[in-house]
Amino acid sequence: MADIKEISKAVRLVSVPTDRFKTSKISICFALPLKEETVASNALLPYLLHHSCAKYPSMELINNHLAMLYGASIGASVLKAGESQIMRLSISAIDDRFSLDNESISAKCAQLLCDLIFEPNFENGTFSNADIEQEKRLMIERIDSEMDDKRAYALRKCEELMCADEPYGLSKYGTKEQVKKLTADDVFKAWQRMLKTAKIQINVIGNADLKKIEESFADNLKKIGREEPAVLSTKFIGKADKIKEKTEQMEIKQGKLVMGLRVDIKDAMEKYAELSVMNDVFGGGPYSRLFANVREKMSLCYYCSSRLVRQKGVIFIQSGIETENKEKAVKAILEQFEIMKKGEFSKEDFEASKKAIVDALNSYGDMPEDIDVWYTGQIIYDEIFSTKKAVEMINKVTVDEVTKAAQLVTLDTIFMLEGTGDSEEGE
Amino acid sequence: MEIKKIENEALKEAYYSVKHPSGLQIYVMPKENYSSAFAVFGTNYGSIDTGFKRSDENDFATIPEGTAHFLEHKLFESEELDAFERYAKTGASANAYTSFDQTCYLFSCSANFKENLEILIDFVQHPYFTQETVEKEQGIIGQEIRMYQDVPNWQVMFNLLRAMYSNHPVRIDIAGTIESIAEINADMLYRCYNTFYNLNNMALAVAGNVTVDEVIEVADRMLKKAENVTIERIDHKEPKEVAMDYIEEKLAVATPQFMLGFKETNKEPVVSLKQRLETAVMLDIIAGRTSALYNDMFKKGLINSEFGTEYFNGNGYAAILFSGETNHYKEVAELIKKEIKKFKAEGIKEEEFELVRRKTYGRSIMAFNDVDTLANSLVASHFLKSGLFDDIEILGRMTVEDVNNRLKNTLDENYSSLSVILPQDK
Repeated sequence: MADIKEISKAVRLVSVPTDRFKTSKISICFALPLKEETVASNALLPYLLHHSCAKYPSMELINNHLAMLYGASIGASVLKAGESQIMRLSISAIDDRFSLDNESISAKCAQLLCDLIFEPNFENGTFSNADIEQEKRLMIERIDSEMDDKRAYALRKCEELMCADEPYGLSKYGTKEQVKKLTADDVFKAWQRMLKTAKIQINVIGNADLKKIEESFADNLKKIGREEPAVLSTKFIGKADKIKEKTEQMEIKQGKLVMGLRVDIKDAMEKYAELSVMNDVFGGGPYSRLFANVREKMSLCYYCSSRLVRQKGVIFIQSGIETENKEKAVKAILEQFEIMKKGEFSKEDFEASKKAIVDALNSYGDMPEDIDVWYTGQIIYDEIFSTKKAVEMINKVTVDEVTKAAQLVTLDTIFMLEGTGDSEEGE
Repeated sequence: MEIKKIENEALKEAYYSVKHPSGLQIYVMPKENYSSAFAVFGTNYGSIDTGFKRSDENDFATIPEGTAHFLEHKLFESEELDAFERYAKTGASANAYTSFDQTCYLFSCSANFKENLEILIDFVQHPYFTQETVEKEQGIIGQEIRMYQDVPNWQVMFNLLRAMYSNHPVRIDIAGTIESIAEINADMLYRCYNTFYNLNNMALAVAGNVTVDEVIEVADRMLKKAENVTIERIDHKEPKEVAMDYIEEKLAVATPQFMLGFKETNKEPVVSLKQRLETAVMLDIIAGRTSALYNDMFKKGLINSEFGTEYFNGNGYAAILFSGETNHYKEVAELIKKEIKKFKAEGIKEEEFELVRRKTYGRSIMAFNDVDTLANSLVASHFLKSGLFDDIEILGRMTVEDVNNRLKNTLDENYSSLSVILPQDK
């Protein structure tokens, strides 16, 4: 359903033209290798850029302009895709046909996005110290607030422990110490590096004026002068040498268990369908082994689920439990995984899983955000993979293939965030 | 059966309102070129309904805190296949939620729509509780309660509600407490079920790749006429004053979080849509992304983009909330109060109003993309006795005088409370 066009070297335009939505959405992603030396300066960029530009030199002016564009909203984020770091900016606004004065909202949105990215609010040819200091403060607060979400924090700690010697173990934002050290010059260099060498993908979803958008971006990229694009790669580690285990204590009520597993594959698309179904039968929906047993039968938790990160060939199992139930939960989870490896899951669960995955894939086209996410995740690959193709592959999977896929998986790391927060209550 | 088509010319959208003979109100919103459908079956029963009287009984009944939510969990079970097992055969993705005043069961699917709707209507109408299954659920919900106790932005809000409200059950946790859910038994669940899951107290909404005929066909087959019982809810005699003007708790957080609430006492227990929209516009003018308050505090390093406002309201309660994460919560609370005073003295200007109205108009249109938002809104607005297109119409008629009048009658700092979550080492 998407049209794909290479508009410049390593710059791809993915468009999904449709008038079924009330909005147009444009997003632009920059992919660079995830590296210790550059992770923090890169991560600052989308947030910094979306707060001001030469034309609208303050956040207030940008917000006023957005309100004039009928409440258009801009977003900035940083993601990890395998061992690549993705810097993302997006804008979403009502479709041109709802404009009260016949102006083209989408063209103005595309223009604003270009202004933000290519014409920043410079002072003497670089970012101002005041702007950089503000973004550093906000980034440190963002990193801090990750700790406030205990589930996210425990997952982060498990990733860090499991992939200590791989770029994947890095935080997508960098560390607080790295952020504190950043200078305007570091960020300026990161900006140039991103525009000149990142792999770029622009997604346009809706009724937007595609030709204008393409022209705006192509012109600006020409001015920048693109260089040889950065090489993006991810290291796949088939199996752990030994199982790592770590616990940490925090004054919280509920403990958080995270288990990291390795999948013996060489790239993200290897055994795509088999692994997707395997992971879903094991820890996906309410029919999954983990939900049906660890939650429903054993009443150990409210959530227990498994997430496959195929761009890195790893699986994370997460559950919120009473700290004293850790051994019981780990044992139960591993027992359920043995069932997967032996192919002793039910045919019904297997069929249910395939149906649920296919149903969800077929619903993706109904939400501009879902479409955007689907294509954004593929920025690091040369070939674009459609949901239609994914459905075909899922439908063909057999029980035997799922069992074999489970046999590719081994335990690597167990991380437990122990709760010590009960004493205070005196209950 | 009465079927009405409700249209909006500007949006080019329409939905059907069906008064089914069973007593159930049904809404269907077909969306052209969509692949999926989203259905919500909801009852006007939530965590605040801890006391009620049926029209066919003489006395008020009181039930433990968290019963509505507990019932939501248990309704998925059946003597034969439970609801999840049935959906597993169709591929739908199903879920449910309980709020202060509603319990809703939902599914989304891109295939087998009629079969899925049949499952939804069927399992919600067939409760099956035993003492054994009730006990099993106490462990699971216990963990859900414990999980929320560690979530700072949840705690900051419920602490604030406890500080603002003395009697109204909006002050209790939606899931109840470990102690209160221990009192729940199968009989109690049946009693609440039989009272609140009466079709006359419920609504069904479907949006997406569906037709009104498909929905009616399934409804005709699956629904029986319900006896017309009405439900009277307890008047909690909530005083105008807040219970406490300050509340704090220490949790494992890096940065303090705050929520500043202004309690309102309104003439009617449920505020009108007009009042809700005027309040939203007013809050956006005072503290939204284009406001001087937001931008000044941001520049000074006092807030980040987590800062926000909300008009929190339902049956018998209404409050305006300001929230965020900051080390300078006292200063921020003072700056908010100061800005409110300034606006009250000077009034909102025409151009400030027009800018925010334009933004709000755009945002209301954007809401028509998502079938899940639409189906949920149809049910929610039904219980609030408004329609889906009313927002855009009311917004079109709104004037700056309306918003200034609204400002005069709310945000009184004599009725405000501040709730703060502090890091443990401070």
